[in-house]
Amino acid sequence: MAVTVSRRRGFLTSALALLAIIGPGIITASADNDVGGIATYSQAGAQFGYAILWTLIPITIALVVVQEMAARMGAVTGKGLSGLIRENFGVRWTAILGLAFVSSNVFTTAAEFAGVAAASEIFHVSRFIAVPLAGLLVFFLILRANRKVTERIFLVSSALYISYVVSGLKSQPHWPDVWHGFFVPTFQTNPSYLWMVIALVGTTISPWMCFYLQAAIVEKGVRVRDYALSRIDVVFGCFVTDFMSFFMILCTAATIFVFNAAHPHLAPIAINQASDAAIALKPLAGEFAEVLFALGILNAGIFTASILPLSTAYYICEAGGFEAGVDNRFRDAPVFFTAYATVIAIGVGLVLLPGIPLLSVILVSQIVSGILLPFLLVFMLIMVNKRSLMGEHVNSLAFNIIAWATAIIVGALTLLSVYESVVPLFIKSG
Amino acid sequence: MGFHEGFLSEIVGKTAVVTGPGGQITIGRVTDFVVTQPHDTFPKIDSLIIKAKSGHYLAPTDTLVDIEPNRVSLSAAPTQAPPPEDQALYLVEDLLDKQIVDVEGRKLVRINDIEIARTGGTLRVVAADIGLSGLLRRLGANRLPASVFDRIPRRMLSWNDVAPIDDLSPSDVRLSVSQRQLPRLHPSDLAEIITDLSTNDAARVIKHLDDETAADALEHLEPDMQKTIIEEVGTERAADIIEEMDSDDAADLLSDLPEEQQLELLSAMEPERAVELRELSEYGEDTAGGLMTTDYMWIYPHRTVAATIDKIRELAPETEFIYYLYVLDQTEKLLGVLSLRNLLLATPTDTIHNIMERDIVHVNTDTKAQDVAGTIARYDLLACPVIDKDSVMLGIVTVDDAIDAILPERLKRQLPRFTRSHKHQERAGVA
Repeated sequence: MAVTVSRRRGFLTSALALLAIIGPGIITASADNDVGGIATYSQAGAQFGYAILWTLIPITIALVVVQEMAARMGAVTGKGLSGLIRENFGVRWTAILGLAFVSSNVFTTAAEFAGVAAASEIFHVSRFIAVPLAGLLVFFLILRANRKVTERIFLVSSALYISYVVSGLKSQPHWPDVWHGFFVPTFQTNPSYLWMVIALVGTTISPWMCFYLQAAIVEKGVRVRDYALSRIDVVFGCFVTDFMSFFMILCTAATIFVFNAAHPHLAPIAINQASDAAIALKPLAGEFAEVLFALGILNAGIFTASILPLSTAYYICEAGGFEAGVDNRFRDAPVFFTAYATVIAIGVGLVLLPGIPLLSVILVSQIVSGILLPFLLVFMLIMVNKRSLMGEHVNSLAFNIIAWATAIIVGALTLLSVYESVVPLFIKSG
Repeated sequence: MGFHEGFLSEIVGKTAVVTGPGGQITIGRVTDFVVTQPHDTFPKIDSLIIKAKSGHYLAPTDTLVDIEPNRVSLSAAPTQAPPPEDQALYLVEDLLDKQIVDVEGRKLVRINDIEIARTGGTLRVVAADIGLSGLLRRLGANRLPASVFDRIPRRMLSWNDVAPIDDLSPSDVRLSVSQRQLPRLHPSDLAEIITDLSTNDAARVIKHLDDETAADALEHLEPDMQKTIIEEVGTERAADIIEEMDSDDAADLLSDLPEEQQLELLSAMEPERAVELRELSEYGEDTAGGLMTTDYMWIYPHRTVAATIDKIRELAPETEFIYYLYVLDQTEKLLGVLSLRNLLLATPTDTIHNIMERDIVHVNTDTKAQDVAGTIARYDLLACPVIDKDSVMLGIVTVDDAIDAILPERLKRQLPRFTRSHKHQERAGVA
């Protein structure tokens, strides 16, 4: 008599399988809250208080939609995003996107190191010590450690974002207002509010995360049959990330925004970069909140100063067809490690060399990245709907509607912000 | 057909015209190439895909007249529709930009461009361009002045090392050699492509080449492969090819063959050439006798400089090595030597006898290859004469043959070849 064995997996087996597959999604989403992201969320909270919290809901949906497509393409095709772009759109597009992508990544990496510099100075450590140290740390991490170890370190780094939750709670927000701001969309018609929303979208959804996520999924060896679990990783990662963002906004909304509102006769406390928020927290929420916030910046800076160069190296290698991946030794993937090291070196250099107008450089890189994103989203949508590429894993109709809407809205918003950033440049020079 | 070889990216997009009695009719643009036998070493291109206003058409390569700088001319208008994608390999669609992996599955590079060439009347895929120049050509860099574009490093991969993993819709392309053995190929050097072929394929390709090209190719092959190819192509054809080879290489080849086959081949050649090769093949391979060629220029000492220069001008196209002139007497005894430079700088009315160098550096037939190379290096020569014990001139060993003989195989692969584009004829005499 035949014995039928239940094909259903037990809970424990499923949980273990999930643990084996998680990583890329959470890491990519966490890296999304980079130094620039922290600055933007802090500014949003300081300027508009709890009322801007609701934007996190649509932003999270957009993030999930975009990340899920990149992850799915990686799992189904086993190829990185830039490789797929080259195979489907040719050398010319790959080169144009690559030029924009690599240059904007280099400058964003510099911005991460600048965050490391500012945060370390809060702890009275010179940037000339902290930044080169951080550069060496991330370089040797990727060169020496294998993929598994690196992934665990990145996961720990992702978990350290919890410091923002603690900071947020320490700032003693007024919860009824928080929930109101989160669940009830309110619109303001003034331009600064609109630009803030655009900035939030721009900092959350960026080209590099698509390239990094897809490459990480491919390198981890996630295949179609594991994809259901990988999707959990991706979606969960997006939610966790925006959960952290939520508390970043709370930190400044509960303190700086409230303070500014209560003291209309004083000049409002302005936040220009992430470290300003940390410093502003000290008198309002205590030294502990400041330290935690600054540690958070330090963590985010070092973490993303590794992810961004990795994403760049993946782009170059996939596009050129060179061996890539953290698991390789240098001699097996020389282009990959050289590209990685070069981006780090330039990033460190831009921060430490005197006379470089870093803020303008970063602004330009954001503009380039903003122009790149709509193209990338359209390319991704075309490819993810190609049956010859994705087989049965093309987008469903419902998903396509959401995805195209996301692409169009995000694309339009980023282009709008590019326009906003570019026009003053011309007016000034003209 | 004037087309010899070219890159896919340069041909795709060209206007296709039909040249007929009624003049020229423009049909559309070339968009792709179809291969139906992708397993072949250098797959034959069966047809071109032409995109016209009314749709896509299949133009068989039989109807291809020529590929010109700005258009592709056909002898008949294409009428057939192209086959579905899963029944044919499309070079642009299926191969361009695809990943190349080595035998271990490691990613190497992507195919930046594909080189196709005409051999024996058919268009074939000969190499994958995997270099920076290929990538930049795709981006339009070939519109730069040639002096700039040609400086960009080229890297080609002979197609016989490349195998589409799934022949008809490859997602990756696999290399049949590992990365370390990756051969480098000069695009215009068909001879070198054949060098890398399996014996059977090489024999097949050689059959399609003209004698001169085949001889060039054969010179570069390993002795074992030479022997097999000679057997494959048949005595008549083999004799024709060997006649065209450098006499030193031809002699080496003959000396490796069994006595019976040697005689068979020699009797199929012109008698004069046969005698010469016969003599040469007696010498050991690693000696001056084995390395030497009888393809040199010689003169009698009483000639005037002007008459000699005239004669050189007449014979130079037939002779490979013209830089030294050897002065012989009636008994072919070597009296002196002079370089082309000496000759050009001398007074035209002077006689050779007066200006020749009498102190001659020479070797004997049994001088070891190593010593020949040493002699050539020590005296900074381009060639060194080989004489017998009575000072009778037998031949010369040129510097490239001497280097070839002493360099390890491994190193040779990395060096550029001395191109041999001239015909290799018998020695040219100025009597």
